[in-house]
Amino acid sequence: MTETTTRGIAPIAALRLAGLSVRYPGQRSPSLDSVDLEVQAGELVGVSGRTGAGKSTLALAAGGFLPRVVRATVTGSAAVGGIDATSLDPRALLGHVGIVFATPANQLSASKQTVREELAFGLENLGVDRADMDGRISTVLVRLGIANLADREPLTLSGGEQQRVAIASIVVMGTSLLVLDEPTAQLDPVGAADVGALLAELARGGTAVLVVEHDPTILGQTSRMVLLESAKAVGSGEPGYVLGSRVAGLYGLPAPTLVRLAELAEMDPALAFDEAAIVANLSSHGPRLAPGAEPSLSIGAWEAARDRPVPVAQVQELAHRYPNGVEALRGVSLRFAPGEAAVILGQNGSGKTTLAKHLNGLLRPDRGDVQFDGVSTRNLRVDELSATVGFVFQNPDDQLFERTVEREVSFGPRNLGWNAATVRQLVERALDAVGLSAVGGTNPYDLDLSRRKLVSLASVLAMNPSILVLDEPTTGQDPVGTERVGAVVRGMRDAGRTVIAITHNMEFAAAHFDRVILMREGIVIADGPPSELLSAPNQALLASTGLTPPPAARIASALGLTLVPRTAAGLIEALTARR
Amino acid sequence: MSATSGYFVVGTSWLHHRHPLTKLLGLGFVLLATFLLPSITLVLLVIALAGIAASAGLAARLARAMRIPAVLLASILVVNAFFYPGATDRLLELGPLAVSREGLTFGTISAGRVLVAFIASVLFLFTTLADDLLEALVARGASHRIAFVILSAVQLVPRMQLRAASILDAQQARGLAIEGSFGRRIRALVPLIGPVLLGSLIDVRERTFALEARGFGARPGRTAYRQVVDPPSDRWLRPVLVLGCIAVIVAAVTGLGRG
Repeated sequence: MTETTTRGIAPIAALRLAGLSVRYPGQRSPSLDSVDLEVQAGELVGVSGRTGAGKSTLALAAGGFLPRVVRATVTGSAAVGGIDATSLDPRALLGHVGIVFATPANQLSASKQTVREELAFGLENLGVDRADMDGRISTVLVRLGIANLADREPLTLSGGEQQRVAIASIVVMGTSLLVLDEPTAQLDPVGAADVGALLAELARGGTAVLVVEHDPTILGQTSRMVLLESAKAVGSGEPGYVLGSRVAGLYGLPAPTLVRLAELAEMDPALAFDEAAIVANLSSHGPRLAPGAEPSLSIGAWEAARDRPVPVAQVQELAHRYPNGVEALRGVSLRFAPGEAAVILGQNGSGKTTLAKHLNGLLRPDRGDVQFDGVSTRNLRVDELSATVGFVFQNPDDQLFERTVEREVSFGPRNLGWNAATVRQLVERALDAVGLSAVGGTNPYDLDLSRRKLVSLASVLAMNPSILVLDEPTTGQDPVGTERVGAVVRGMRDAGRTVIAITHNMEFAAAHFDRVILMREGIVIADGPPSELLSAPNQALLASTGLTPPPAARIASALGLTLVPRTAAGLIEALTARR
Repeated sequence: MSATSGYFVVGTSWLHHRHPLTKLLGLGFVLLATFLLPSITLVLLVIALAGIAASAGLAARLARAMRIPAVLLASILVVNAFFYPGATDRLLELGPLAVSREGLTFGTISAGRVLVAFIASVLFLFTTLADDLLEALVARGASHRIAFVILSAVQLVPRMQLRAASILDAQQARGLAIEGSFGRRIRALVPLIGPVLLGSLIDVRERTFALEARGFGARPGRTAYRQVVDPPSDRWLRPVLVLGCIAVIVAAVTGLGRG
């Protein structure tokens, strides 16, 4: 291992990877292959790429975890502030680099009564004098805008708040380099925006920040980013350039809406995340390029054996109060017709998941009723309802237990008592729909989170549900996985099934659903097509439940379009038609 | 129950204000007395513990917690009353079964011991934060690593309870029937236990990374932020409790402890 620094010529980089390759034991191909990367103090640098491209390995290497904590063969060099990051000495990088991962609750010590004590945990390990701790903690709490959380119990905070506390817990240790691995994957838009603002603020204050992300709102704030594909760094530069058709597009990754709009307006990629610039450009020049055919994944209409008529789902005056007194639903009435793709939006605590859990009998109404073709769910068990209503949970690890993907996906249909031939046919169809036919013999836990989520989706599709309920199906997904889930939604809808999804992903909601239901404090506050609900006059309504319109809708509103387009291409078509 | 503070009940009673090690010694004293001293002591211990709970404002909480050992206590009493081996003094005949005096006596004493041990332990958990106990032990030379591992294991229980509930929901939604014959219920355990264990391993990996990132155990000379108050009264109470424990052991060894 050689350590290369340029003392006396240029400042020592906060992070320098030179020709870094990583291979895990038992793996044939490397997880990182000759990657070069430098991050200077005060820089916010992004890393993106599809699932399995090597992003997390890069984060672990930058954080000094390879090979000390995670066994791997490392060649090339990795240095943090000039110190060898592949050292086996746990003290070598202590206080120089910190790393934050995706699951907020797992970032905390879980033993501390207050946020203040949580921040003290790292200082205790550094051996900081007790008298100096309060001052350091207070400074960081104020600087990161979370002083109001100081005396709260960490595990009772929202995901976004917990993630900001996790970042503060690293920053308070005085680290010069902060590495984050998908820090917003499990956060709602408000939480993600807060974390994004925090990272930008840290960089302005002189910290070097390296963030692995899929979320365009975070990547758009980076000064430059690197795209990884099959363990190699295949492009770097401004995020508007790297995420566009000239780099990410070459590898089949769909461009974020704003980047696509900037390209269609032939704008400088540096302005791709500047909404005001895009609006100004489109309003003065209009689109210069035709959008062409949108690259869109399709699974075709869902067809499967044992098809049954799809019932009408009727929710009548539904109310539910939890044992702790929280009134989660306060009289909700909705009707879902066969062939409808509806998305339920609203901030955390608005009652979305409580409503969804009534559809498959996991929760029983305190008042009101849920009926399928007039039959109440009150007297049906969850396993009986599962033949009609398929429910895909947010966390796939709550259900995966079989030794192969195929066996996992066949668990549901086998429970329904179907014969082996039918089960086999449904499993094949479901794996094909989610694009996992090639990994049927793999252990689900050998797949990454994104593909484990697709396994849990397939395991419900294989039950051939008449009504499909999805709880946050895009969290932890890369853009390709999100497109895949969208294709499943459309395929089920086109086959006359009912799809009901809960999501925070506004672009996903706008692109794939025909009906938007807005919830706030246990009631439905609006219900209609996305083209109407996500329009400018409703911005205040959306904001009242913690939402912002998707980017295409924001730009359309600013350009004075009355109907809200679903995608960048829809927006360009509307603009062209207007001219 | 909170995942951080376990069974701790927020309060400012005199029992809350005792140093964790004082309470730990008190618990040790009660457990020794329960199992080593003559059974008549059990009555005194139950009265004393009830008085302590009431004076600390925990009587209602304690009463609610008694649901947990109720079945165990009742079964100890009933099984011994009816099936005490070699019993001769029959008090009540119920068909082929009979309640014996020896069985009833032994059952009452055994249930009484479990009851006292339960009440004392619950009062300790109600009034002691695990974090305070950890700092108190570390301040007296215990290994911080080992103390933290034990604390984490204790705190894992409520987390796993929450997780198990989510897993039950997820598997039922995939058609898993958890009611029915004994065989069916046993078969239903595999899809429930599998994700609990595998999910916990994934959590442990991430949590290990997070602790590494914060320098846990990386160097000696750890300092402590949390300060555990040690009131002057506790400084003489602890030697008294140590002497009490020694006295109980001496009494038991010298033959006074046959109950």
